[in-house]
Amino acid sequence: MRWFRFAVLLSLVTVLQAGLLAHWNIKPDLLLILLVFFAIYCDTSEAVITSFTIGFAADVIGFVMGPQIISFGLFGTLLAYLHRLIAIRKMPYQSAAIFITGLLAGALAHFFTFLKGQPTTPNIYTVLIGTSLYSAIVGPFLFLPSAWWMRIKTHRFSGH
Amino acid sequence: MLFTWFMLAGFIFLFAPQNITNRFQFVFARIFRWPLSIGRSVSLSMRVRQSLPDLVPRREYNQLQNHLANVIEQLNQEHKEVEKLSGMRIRLPLAGAKLPLADVIKVSIGGLHAGLIINRGRNDGLAKGQFVLGDNSIIGTISDVAYRQAQVRLFTDSASRIEVKIAGLSIDRLMQGNGSSSAKIPMVSTKYKIRVGDKVFARKKPGLLDAAIIIGTVTQCKEADGKPLLWDITVKPACDIERLEDVAVIIMNP
Repeated sequence: MRWFRFAVLLSLVTVLQAGLLAHWNIKPDLLLILLVFFAIYCDTSEAVITSFTIGFAADVIGFVMGPQIISFGLFGTLLAYLHRLIAIRKMPYQSAAIFITGLLAGALAHFFTFLKGQPTTPNIYTVLIGTSLYSAIVGPFLFLPSAWWMRIKTHRFSGH
Repeated sequence: MLFTWFMLAGFIFLFAPQNITNRFQFVFARIFRWPLSIGRSVSLSMRVRQSLPDLVPRREYNQLQNHLANVIEQLNQEHKEVEKLSGMRIRLPLAGAKLPLADVIKVSIGGLHAGLIINRGRNDGLAKGQFVLGDNSIIGTISDVAYRQAQVRLFTDSASRIEVKIAGLSIDRLMQGNGSSSAKIPMVSTKYKIRVGDKVFARKKPGLLDAAIIIGTVTQCKEADGKPLLWDITVKPACDIERLEDVAVIIMNP
């Protein structure tokens, strides 16, 4: 695992998410896409580290620290373990993984945000479903450039 | 074991006081200020704009409209003060206020929350709860302050609650952000005549705001679902918040 490249990629994606995409109402969650990518294509221990780190980045550009560290970390780790049992190699499966992870992680993060005293918004479901769907459509296409940058072979099955 | 340690760290972040954990967000905004501003400029320039050279630009028009609305409301307020306190000296609104300008570093609009990070903080006299002006209209309040930066909660944020009054009416209500670039004013009886286009003003608040200032305009007014005796009022900001590059913070009696 090339950690320096991971740091550069994560910084770039975080800045893009917070800068370029900040004004969109419904937007793809690039950090979610990155989470699923590393959960699928890395070793389990590396997937755990990357999941929590990506969650930290997601919280840094959000409003409350903590919810996405936990939700991204938990579901990224679960996805990494699931990938040991069921290979998530084809694009439709990757899309489904992004969509489901987005819904679950988003719901859990929202619950923790509510726990921290932030009020809910009436259109939470629209935002969650819209973001997860958008990310699921766009995500698999972003796996290849990410794999190129990280020097990861995408046809590799990381079973161990 | 690694997973357990990380989860523990996550829960520590979750339950730590927000004024401590917000420092990470401020540091990120400070370090990546330049690429964030470039990304924002690119995002805004991607929108198609029609410009008619012989007319006043929309932003200047909004500024003038807001200024006019503020002046009219302040004048009405002054007349009421004179009637009520005739014989006593009246201080002009915002006469004792300091209005430091601040650059917008990061904007988050859309999704669940709406806010800005600006480059002024405790060092410049900012404090939680102070009102923030954009194009002569209230856009929100300071929600968190660091030494040299501050976070602004826009009034369209779902956590925002600001007391407002609708122009021409003598009723005050609590306006709530609904997280989608607008806010709602609940519990307004249909006996009041409210029209689309009516100005909405933030009520004066002792120590924070000594005159009503425009905050938005009514964009929708219909009967509330299931409550035919109440209006469902939607308010949009009086300025284009996404295009703001600088804002002013109202510091009363610095």
